[in-house]
Amino acid sequence: MAESYIDQADKEARKRALEVFRQRFREVLEQIRRGENPFLMLPKRTLSNTIYDERRKLLLLGPEKLKRSFFDLHEAKKFMQTLLMARIIFEALERDEYPTIRDLYYRGKHTIVYREPGGRRHEENTWDEQRESDAVIRDIEVLTGLLREEMLILSKEKGKVVGDMRIRSGGDVIDLSKMGHGAYAIEPTPDLIEFLDVNAEYVLVVEKDAVFQQLHRIKYWRQHKAILITSAGQPDRATRRFVRRLNEELGLPVYILTDADPYGWYIYSVFKIGSITLSYESERLATPQARFIGVSMTDIFGDPKSGKKPYLTEQERRNYIIKAKDADIKRAYELMNYLWFQTPKWKREIEIFLDKKAKLEIEALTSKGLRFLADKYLPEKIETGDWIE
Amino acid sequence: MARQRAQRAKAAEAPRETFKSMSPSEFFYHYKEIAGFDNPTKALYQAVRELVENALDATDVHGIFPDIFVSIEAVDREESFYRITVEDNGIGIPPNNVPSAFGRVFFSSKYKLRQARGRFGLGAKAVIIYAQATTGRPIEVYTAPIGSRRVYYFKLKIDIQRNEPLVLARGEFENPSGWHGTRVSITIKGDWSRARHRIYTYFQRTAIAAPYANIVFVDPDGNVVVYRRTLNKLPPKPREVKPHPHGVDAEMLKQLISRSNAKTMLEFMVETFQGVGKKTAEAFLEYAGIPKDLDPHRLSERDIVRLVSKMREFRKFRPPSADALSPLGPEVIETGLRSILKPEFVVAVTRRPKVYEGHPFIVEVGIAYGGEIPPQEEPMLLRYANKIPLLYDERADVAWKVLHSFDWKTYMVTFPAPIAVLTHIASTKVPYKAAGKESVAEAPEIEQELRNALREAARKLREYLLKKKREEEAKRRIVTFMKYTPEVAKSLAVILKSYGVKESDIREMLLTAMKKRLGLPEEEFAKLVEGLEVSVEE
Repeated sequence: MAESYIDQADKEARKRALEVFRQRFREVLEQIRRGENPFLMLPKRTLSNTIYDERRKLLLLGPEKLKRSFFDLHEAKKFMQTLLMARIIFEALERDEYPTIRDLYYRGKHTIVYREPGGRRHEENTWDEQRESDAVIRDIEVLTGLLREEMLILSKEKGKVVGDMRIRSGGDVIDLSKMGHGAYAIEPTPDLIEFLDVNAEYVLVVEKDAVFQQLHRIKYWRQHKAILITSAGQPDRATRRFVRRLNEELGLPVYILTDADPYGWYIYSVFKIGSITLSYESERLATPQARFIGVSMTDIFGDPKSGKKPYLTEQERRNYIIKAKDADIKRAYELMNYLWFQTPKWKREIEIFLDKKAKLEIEALTSKGLRFLADKYLPEKIETGDWIE
Repeated sequence: MARQRAQRAKAAEAPRETFKSMSPSEFFYHYKEIAGFDNPTKALYQAVRELVENALDATDVHGIFPDIFVSIEAVDREESFYRITVEDNGIGIPPNNVPSAFGRVFFSSKYKLRQARGRFGLGAKAVIIYAQATTGRPIEVYTAPIGSRRVYYFKLKIDIQRNEPLVLARGEFENPSGWHGTRVSITIKGDWSRARHRIYTYFQRTAIAAPYANIVFVDPDGNVVVYRRTLNKLPPKPREVKPHPHGVDAEMLKQLISRSNAKTMLEFMVETFQGVGKKTAEAFLEYAGIPKDLDPHRLSERDIVRLVSKMREFRKFRPPSADALSPLGPEVIETGLRSILKPEFVVAVTRRPKVYEGHPFIVEVGIAYGGEIPPQEEPMLLRYANKIPLLYDERADVAWKVLHSFDWKTYMVTFPAPIAVLTHIASTKVPYKAAGKESVAEAPEIEQELRNALREAARKLREYLLKKKREEEAKRRIVTFMKYTPEVAKSLAVILKSYGVKESDIREMLLTAMKKRLGLPEEEFAKLVEGLEVSVEE
């Protein structure tokens, strides 16, 4: 590989990460040198150790720590796995590689062959399923304080973006307004993207890829001066980090459009305050200012309490509404328990949902008319401030 | 079942009506099942057993390390005739006693108060009677007492009607090598293919209880089994003792009186019974209201019955002596179990003598665990009484009952478990359920002692299992740490290579830290990791 092709930003990131690894594991070596039981201190990645910071409106990792010792029957394997994963990532950083989490799984999947004192021969894999090695990667992230993106670990690209802006990535300048019918796939290391110039008023994130495509075809983003993004379902880390940077660094307001059901609400919640399984990343990934633009229950049914009129006619409601399933109801009750869903507006949303036991997909709005969605619904809601924060 | 009951009822009624006209030989001729000769299968097994037990009684009881040779030959396959030959290196039989010893039922050197394997004076004679009934062939005996210059030969039958020996031939040979012992050959109708398994089991069980014996067995198919002596020590010899007043019945008392030369009751009591001194005798006679000067020979039948019940009631006799008993002892049991069952752990317990119905007894229990014993849903039970293995009617035996009401879990045994339990009851009178000597009745004292002995042995087993569990725990920890050490050491070496640490050094340091962590002495650690190998395939 020719050195010159390697991006300078990547190089810096690698140097930083390698040094963090050396520092962390030096401690372990010192413990061993002193004849102690070597251990690693990790923040606990559990629901009980996930804290909602009301002031900053973020889901954060709590103060609880986990001591993972090698000479402990139940921890030994995890300890070994953590060191093994650290080594593989370390080697990849050194060699200027960009492993995916699947690569890391294969590289670390070794077979330990051992013969017991009794003579029985056993085989044991360092890990069997990728689920296991993925969990170890998360451990390494909390242990080193480095996100996988900072360790140049790649994952599948999922999010897409178009809009009137230019960025630099891997040494190339990319014009996000010249993507044709396609879109720019948000790379797994969004921190290595440089924002060059932007001509936009806000960011619109659409949960559904299909709706994103329709809005892109009619150049919604140009007409309304928006950066248009889709997470294609549950957002990956790169999309969340990219949205966060647009909000934080460019000061663009972020609006999120999802289905009108508890799963849509949770997608919004992940963008806004972080997820429970990855709470240690919230500080870098969450966008606390993100707004839920819709589709809200009051958009469908109106709200006699506030005098809001519905966007759908009686007839349309009959056509588009889907009856809520038991799982939806159950999920709604769970969300009610989360502190960040206990604002008056969210309480009202959940209340209407549980009352009507009805949900609605964004596509219903495009069915009513793509123009309705693009020229009436979205601009009107943004202009009148009809969103939930 | 019904048929068995009917037979038993017949056996119980018949003698009452016809005993006068029936000799003991005749009685056993008609009721062979009482002695264990119900059918050709059982008869073959029973015959081997009787002859082998006589052979053992002629040796170990007299301080001789037994060398026993046994063969079964098929002499007529069509008729299922088998010749059994048993040879021992025992004390032999004085030639003038041979005809009676083999030819008269109830003539026995063992009809005394001393623990021995045979007790009914039936043994060989039942075999002879059965042989006569099935093949009609006589028994052949070679015998030489210790120091005898000659070997004596007899060929004889029993005159069943008259309960008398019928010598068909006799002879004498020079004995230049100084051989002593007895060799008998007898041909009976049997069923080898059915008896085979039981006879093999019998030899195995016999070998367990007599690890100080050499036993060679040649079966009809020419297979040879050899049980070699694994213990060079004999159990202590049982001594002959006088009967205890609590242990006699009216019939026995009558015999004792008729054999006695005592002129007065006082004299009779002191001379005849164990542990009865002048003072005790006087106190008892006063209690029983019998004049101490009375001539015992003048006691009427009714007096004798009364005397027996008074003797039973009287509490001030000394407890019966256990001198007559010959337990196997923990060493014999442990050696026997170890050499035959090849377990990983054995323990044996010999309890102190106790008494039931005036008879002293000693209970012994051995436990063998693990090793080559296959795990089973219930413990393998090896029952013995007076050193002979009991194979039939296991479920009717008191030992079975005790084992099955035992709380094994308390002793860390959960089934299926690889466990064998040996029980031995040594007594001058074992309460067998029948003359076949296959199961022991539930005397409460014996049952209690069995339970105590089992508990005592099981406690030792638990100690062992606990220790083993701790060791396994330690081993598991070591194996776990050791198997992950290569990856840990390599990873640290890779990440920290700029500090110049070597993988091998890290491994060494990890090993040191591990030993410190486990807190095991160097030796024990070395023992636990011996043979442990770890490699990593990347």
